[in-house]
Amino acid sequence: MALGKSYSLRKSDERTGIIFILPAFILLVVFVFIPMSKAFYYSLHDYMLVSGSKSFVGLKNYSALLQDAKFVNSIKHTFYFAVIVIPVQTAIALGLALLIKPQHRYTGFFRTAFFVPVVISTAVAGTVFKLIYNKDYGLLNALLSAVGVPKISLLSNPDIAMNGVIILGIWKAVGFFMIIYLAGLNNIPQDLYESARVDGATKIKQFVYITLPLLKRTTAFIIIITTIDAIKLSGLVFVLTSGGPNSSTETIVYFIFQTAFEQMQMGYASAAAFILFFMILIISVVQMFSLRSKVNY
Amino acid sequence: MLRIIHFLGMTIIAVVCLLPIIWMILGSMRSYQELIQNAGHLSLNTLVPVEWTLKNFTDVIFDDQHPFLRYVFNTLFVAATVTLLVLLINSLAAFAFAKLSFRGSAAIFVLFMSALIIPGEVMLVPNYMLVNNLGWLNSFKALIIPSTLSVFGIFMLKQFFEEIPTEILESARLDGASWLQIYRAIVLPASVPALITLGIITFLGNWDGYLWPLVVINDDKLQLIQVAIANFTSISGTEWTKVLAANTIATVPILILFLILQRYYVQGITMSGVKG
Repeated sequence: MALGKSYSLRKSDERTGIIFILPAFILLVVFVFIPMSKAFYYSLHDYMLVSGSKSFVGLKNYSALLQDAKFVNSIKHTFYFAVIVIPVQTAIALGLALLIKPQHRYTGFFRTAFFVPVVISTAVAGTVFKLIYNKDYGLLNALLSAVGVPKISLLSNPDIAMNGVIILGIWKAVGFFMIIYLAGLNNIPQDLYESARVDGATKIKQFVYITLPLLKRTTAFIIIITTIDAIKLSGLVFVLTSGGPNSSTETIVYFIFQTAFEQMQMGYASAAAFILFFMILIISVVQMFSLRSKVNY
Repeated sequence: MLRIIHFLGMTIIAVVCLLPIIWMILGSMRSYQELIQNAGHLSLNTLVPVEWTLKNFTDVIFDDQHPFLRYVFNTLFVAATVTLLVLLINSLAAFAFAKLSFRGSAAIFVLFMSALIIPGEVMLVPNYMLVNNLGWLNSFKALIIPSTLSVFGIFMLKQFFEEIPTEILESARLDGASWLQIYRAIVLPASVPALITLGIITFLGNWDGYLWPLVVINDDKLQLIQVAIANFTSISGTEWTKVLAANTIATVPILILFLILQRYYVQGITMSGVKG
């Protein structure tokens, strides 16, 4: 009797389980897996959305992309952004976390203040920084001229425009990673520091031999996420520079967007999207292995 | 002494973090002429208005061509609907993965998690084609339905649900409660903090949405706030104070919501970081 009841219970578990995951599963198939397979299918075709013409071209889109100067440049711009943002932003995030780690009455206020840019939306942040960077009336140049630095027009010079995007990107994201570092710092057992202090280790030595090694896992996580976010850079560029001046801030996603929705070349854009996907995949796997292997505790 | 340096350092960084936002809010409360006159060289009035006014706000709100309140309402509606659906659909799935034993559950879970590595940007083109084929372009359906799956949400809630003792659920089961009743009466009430965390992350993410509404919405009446803001800036490039007022309207509600719920939001980030 008892056996029979638990058997029928388990059987109804099975049905309930399937019903409960069904809505999410349908969404997963319809809005992730089918579009992904379709994107791959499109990427092998010359597919114009307006005319609806579609012809199989094999890997021609991929090989054409790799010789397309506009696409190659968009990769270069994206990597320039990534190579600067990853170390600088991670270092600042760690610095901020160390600053707000000691508990004082005012740390709560500062933690909130450092984090607020994270909740400012991309469009608002981009719009406001566009005005702040303005050569004649922007706040940045007012501050710079107050300390005697000549005026700069950050967004109209192709050589430095990406730096304007970088400053905004770090301003907006660093608080997010500060919070992750703070959680990592709080996970380090306090008695490690106490025994180090008893042994006469300086603050700097404690940082190098205790804090940094025990934050390796957190740092690995932060670097991987930052890299992925950097390679996907798009929203800030759309609002702040629209890819300009002179295409100097066009990123990979910006290129995909233009190819798909301005030139309506869906096949070519899908191929570019797949190159982006494989780039992200390979870089994260390489990072995961090279960063994980050093983690030992 | 060290403490004073520490405090000063943090104050300077806080100024860097907050100055653009303060400049935006104060700049929206003055006339355009006044803003420009005081912009060139640094003084207190570079930031603080000489004559305070709300005219920029009334101009922006009653602008027939760019009905900002409507954009705010559209965005609130979409973000709130998505948030409710995300919480419902993904908590059900997470509960099934955490507590119900059914065949293939581990494999299906891996399938879900594999979607975590696919960036949304990669699916922009095919999802646009799909929504186009379904005839959903220029409707809220296109904004809402594809956004209701949250693989991260399933991952996070599953971890949370696993902490709930199985004995409690099973004894309720033996007392004749259905799994749906257990989910409603035991699991959900026990998980309010996790649900708030996922809710606020989802809401803010949708409030912030830019690329997807830009692609699928052409009808200005249905547009969302972020796209409207970006468009407004490029159209009325010279009227800075109006631009700042529109930005302030789009920011202040979110800022208040964040300040009230920040504990949960920060908790969510921490969870994703430490477990990852």
